[in-house]
Amino acid sequence: MSSRMSQYMLPFFVALMYFFLYIPIVVLVFFSFNKSISLFRWSGFSWRWYSEAWNDSTMWIALRNSLVVSFSAVVLSLIMGLLLVHYGRSFLEKTFFIFYGALIVPEIVLAVGLLSLFSFLSVPLGFTTLIAGHTILGLSYTVPIIYARFNELEYQLTEASLDLGATVWQTFYKVTLPLLTPAMIASGLLVFIVSLDDFIIAFFSASPSTQTLPLYIFNVIRSGASQSVSALSVILLLAGSFLILLLSSLKLKKLFSFGQ
Amino acid sequence: MNRDIENTEVSTNVSFFMALPAFVWLLIFLYIPLLVIIGLSFIRKGVISAWPDFTLSNYFTFFDSLYYSILVRSLLLAFVTMAVCLLCAYPIAYFLALYARRWKNMLLFLLALPFGVNFVILAYAWFFILEKNGLINSILTTLGIISTPIQLLNTEFAIYVGMIYCYLPFMVLPIYAVLEKLDLRLIDASLDLGATRFATFWRIILPQSMPGIQTGFFMVFIPSFGEYVIPALMGGGKYMYVGSLISHYFSVLRNLPLGSAFTVFSSIVLLIVSLIFYWRFRRAT
Repeated sequence: MSSRMSQYMLPFFVALMYFFLYIPIVVLVFFSFNKSISLFRWSGFSWRWYSEAWNDSTMWIALRNSLVVSFSAVVLSLIMGLLLVHYGRSFLEKTFFIFYGALIVPEIVLAVGLLSLFSFLSVPLGFTTLIAGHTILGLSYTVPIIYARFNELEYQLTEASLDLGATVWQTFYKVTLPLLTPAMIASGLLVFIVSLDDFIIAFFSASPSTQTLPLYIFNVIRSGASQSVSALSVILLLAGSFLILLLSSLKLKKLFSFGQ
Repeated sequence: MNRDIENTEVSTNVSFFMALPAFVWLLIFLYIPLLVIIGLSFIRKGVISAWPDFTLSNYFTFFDSLYYSILVRSLLLAFVTMAVCLLCAYPIAYFLALYARRWKNMLLFLLALPFGVNFVILAYAWFFILEKNGLINSILTTLGIISTPIQLLNTEFAIYVGMIYCYLPFMVLPIYAVLEKLDLRLIDASLDLGATRFATFWRIILPQSMPGIQTGFFMVFIPSFGEYVIPALMGGGKYMYVGSLISHYFSVLRNLPLGSAFTVFSSIVLLIVSLIFYWRFRRAT
């Protein structure tokens, strides 16, 4: 094999891989405009599924549920993470690894654990249980990210502020908080994405009245009428892509260089 | 003198309480549930008395070929997913880290996009391709290769395709992150000293990228073992994996003790297998 050809093998393979990655997405988008209910038989262009999704009240409820849960999870995990990092730094130094627990355990174990706990305590499933579970996921992202960022900043700034006479609260409000804002935005966005897309925890911790969007889509697909969620899927695809775009536009390289 | 937040006179107690919520939350909603599962696994179902009836009988249920086959099937799924993802991901990461220049950011972004979409939608997208009248069957029939459509969806093949598709980005990014930091001078030195390109790759680049592969292992192998969504959607619920069985115990049978026992049992199996992999990794570096 001439080296000329082997030079092109790698880029060709990579192109093939990207093709593989995006063919399903392209096909999905294309066929969300299909007029008929059968999956692949093209019968003409139509906004039918989009207008059906718009008029589907169950979908709006699921959307509302998803947004409520995700926003709550983001807020809770950000606040708790911030407080932990600011006020408990020395304690955190020795015990930070416990926050990686949620990432090491397979998510289904987490999910059934939560279900077992709630059953054991006879807590009714619903928003509270959902938010509790998602906040755990959230903490696994906010704590490491904010902690790493906080360590990078010379915490002499905090010291300096205290030495100059500021109270702990003032230091927090005027020094730490502004410096940590990028880390907060990045980890908050990440938690939002993870929470919005989560299926397995919602599957076990939600009640029929508090379905989230992934759950809703899953149930519709399973019931057989899968074409009807094609439009909704495309919309979510766009929304998810937008969120990733936001995330990647932040200067993330500095945030993740905490190995050195 | 170290005037840390905790050392200011007023606020040692306040600090403690301010930092506490995160720990308490973690304790209540992560570690206690794990303990609850372990505890439940020893209880005989149906007996809710003051002092629970502790027994190991739940675990004995699983020493049966039926459950062995489920565990093996999940291990195989996790292993094949990881292996194929690794084989496909490594060249991509290699290309992105060492070759692509103008296109790198765009390609990275395209690779990261699926992270914003949940597995349900990603798996669903394959319906259009794998369906009886879907893309693949249409192409094959038009080309005259087959006369009747082949069953692609609701097969184990579909499950594997879905798994590899969803987990590929999880494997690429860690390897890319490591390769990007690779000291190129090592490669130059190796080539200058007369090593072939293959030898350079095998003995310098590959070992250096092991940390990335290890991270990829955690992000692909472990979740794949307990995966519920993709087998349920792509396999039509016809195939029993660890995730499906756990879900069956908890959602359908509502048998929490048995379900907890199986969860613990399969987690232990996963742990043992992961440790074996980990030690083989250590020996390879």
